[in-house]
Amino acid sequence: MTEDNETTPAAGGSILVVGGGISGLTAAIEAAEVGYEVFLVEKEASLGGRVAQLNKYFPKLCPPTCGLEINYRRIKDNPNIKVLTLTEVEKVDGSPGAYEVTLKIKPRYVEDNTTGYDELIESLQTELPNDHDFGMSTTKGLYVPHDMAFPYKYVVSPDILRTGDAKKIKDALPEGAVDLDAQPKSMKINVGAVIWATGWTPYDATKIDNLGFGQYDNIITNMMMERYASSNGPTRGKIIRPSDRKEPESIAFVQCAGSRDENHLPYCSYICCMASLKQATYIREQYPEAKIYIFYIDLRTPGQRYEKFYKQIKEDENIFFIKGKVAEVSEDPATRNITVVAENAVTGEKIHQTVELVVLATGMQPTAKDNPLPVNLKTDENGFIVNDLDKGGMFAVGCANKPLDVVSSNQNATGMALRAIQTLVNR
Amino acid sequence: MADVQVLEPDLGFIREIGALGGAELKKCYQCATCSVACAIAPDNKPFPRKEMIAASWGLKDKLIGNADIWLCHNCGDCSTRCPRTAKPADVLAAVRAYAVSEYAAPKAVAQAVNDPKKLPLLLAVPAVIFIVVGLITGLLDFTPEGDRIVHAHFFSTWLVDMVMIPAAIWAAAIFALSIKRFLGDIHDNAVREGKTDKKNIDPKEFIMSLVRIIPTIMTHNRFNDCTENKKRSTTHMMVLFSFIGLFIVTNCFFVAIYILQIHGPYSQINPIKWLANISGVCLVVGSILMLKNRLNKEDQTSAYKDWALIGLALALGLTGMLTEITRLANWAFISYALYFIHLMFVFSLFAYLPFTKLAHLVYRTVAIAYAEYSGRGFKIG
Repeated sequence: MTEDNETTPAAGGSILVVGGGISGLTAAIEAAEVGYEVFLVEKEASLGGRVAQLNKYFPKLCPPTCGLEINYRRIKDNPNIKVLTLTEVEKVDGSPGAYEVTLKIKPRYVEDNTTGYDELIESLQTELPNDHDFGMSTTKGLYVPHDMAFPYKYVVSPDILRTGDAKKIKDALPEGAVDLDAQPKSMKINVGAVIWATGWTPYDATKIDNLGFGQYDNIITNMMMERYASSNGPTRGKIIRPSDRKEPESIAFVQCAGSRDENHLPYCSYICCMASLKQATYIREQYPEAKIYIFYIDLRTPGQRYEKFYKQIKEDENIFFIKGKVAEVSEDPATRNITVVAENAVTGEKIHQTVELVVLATGMQPTAKDNPLPVNLKTDENGFIVNDLDKGGMFAVGCANKPLDVVSSNQNATGMALRAIQTLVNR
Repeated sequence: MADVQVLEPDLGFIREIGALGGAELKKCYQCATCSVACAIAPDNKPFPRKEMIAASWGLKDKLIGNADIWLCHNCGDCSTRCPRTAKPADVLAAVRAYAVSEYAAPKAVAQAVNDPKKLPLLLAVPAVIFIVVGLITGLLDFTPEGDRIVHAHFFSTWLVDMVMIPAAIWAAAIFALSIKRFLGDIHDNAVREGKTDKKNIDPKEFIMSLVRIIPTIMTHNRFNDCTENKKRSTTHMMVLFSFIGLFIVTNCFFVAIYILQIHGPYSQINPIKWLANISGVCLVVGSILMLKNRLNKEDQTSAYKDWALIGLALALGLTGMLTEITRLANWAFISYALYFIHLMFVFSLFAYLPFTKLAHLVYRTVAIAYAEYSGRGFKIG
């Protein structure tokens, strides 16, 4: 494996994979292990994508480190894969079998593979919001993206280049390892097929104006819950409520928050029901006495394994399921507790449930929706890329194509890797 | 399996609800957002989620005799929040229109009122009655004398009341019969669905409840709970109060003519005349604003029933005011013609009242009174 390779291969028999999340990793590795040359580009400083933000996978409840580490190992072992981080696709010219792709590579500013600058980092002044933790923690201007980063390397945030921190970094690092004047670079590659694994972004919960996110501290999203529960998260794995860091004794999950809703995302995001059931297990593990209320329209746990998981959770006497969508929330300013209101459609009673923490099960929006791709691909009205298999050449995988769980994303990515190979071979 | 309930969906009813403006009904997936979005639905058996499923299953009997459909003020908060754009507010409005037709008799009139093709026929009824009765009695004079316009010289006040009073009695009688059935049905429904612990309706207590809710209706307190369409409450209030004003004016002039023997036209400085003019202007402005609201509303369905009622209010106000203005301008022919048309609309107001959307003034009042009586948890005041 080579990192930040600047040589331009001439071969048109290569595949470009855009996005280094679980779908992109899988597509890249599967194609490379068949023997094809693959460029895997990622706009962030590290591979891993959304999966790296999770605490556990459902339904097996194992940590994402296993899946990611196996894939990182496969990349390291495979000379066919060229990983380019901090890289975005600027332009794609050509046709199936012969694309010329222009990449833009942002500087990392440091080229020092070693860790061990803890003291230096400690001394830096500027605190930057940590996007990996959805702003619930901060990082310094010199940092490793996250614990599951690949490459496991430092990066300098461009936000500190004009601060005193920049000088400190320059002075502390060895000569040649740091170049704070580095400029973005352009690079052209020739490939026969492009796989778009641009993934998803959590739906902006502040848009759901009746559910109080951004208005009341103790309303968080499901992805924030993943970060709280993660041992490498902002609270080192302890689930607390934001307003006073109290251990919550009662938690409400609001399913379909902004999903299956013509005013927001009209579709089902497929994973949120399973995610909330899974997160209920996080809470049960930490706080066995806590009461958990799950408000839903209907629980979607497709397939035998997910259904079994749901049945298991349903047995729990501290987890209550209420059929009815939460449509109103309010905060008690004294206790900072949240009252959620829903009609229990089974009993026909309006329920006002006061809890200490509310988790909004928000859905996924294709990242390409708000950040249009530099190519003209067919998308549906929600921004998911529709694969034109007759035309070939370019394929969307994972959540760029439709809302999926990790397992299905991997299956989908494997299938599309084969489609990409077919484009090369048919030529 | 002791409690097997066989549902008998009334497909005709579902179609009818669609035609009356509830066409998006089947999009509902029962998330119950609407019941929470509604500022006035009580905690026990809130609406309109349960009405949505009953309507999509064609369970007519669960709906038309259900007082909850009348507690709804059609503010549209539920439709705005609805994740499926199933428009519960419009569905309830359609169910109400259906219920009005169902309780009113004779059915032929109810059908004609909801059929745009029958509108000319409905308007021809008063014209024919006026002309026939007028010619027989000689109370209609097509060549009124005098250099001053006196509408009574053309269309005698005797003739007006000879037609209008029976029309008003007809409306009152139909309402009396309808409401008797309606009240029985909503009580049975409330008992069946556990919305009340009252065993029967005590007339005295019911009347007391009716008195207690009048301030709520007059101030539009519940209508004002709406967030989405708050300004609709203002226009509705304008139109309601102009009708009340005109009702008072009519009664005063009735006394003036038949008891005090003072005949019109009345002086513009007469305070009753002021009330008449202010009410007339409010009626015109209010109904134009209502029209504008409906035309600008994209998320609200407007069916024939809605246009017909606004049209009637506007026509009443416009023809009334124009009759007066043309009289003052001394345009005799136009003024007499407008007066005739105005009276046609007045007749329509009375005679068709129990069959149109305007019947809500009786049904909603009774339903709110019943909610107050039965302890439904419908806030008043």
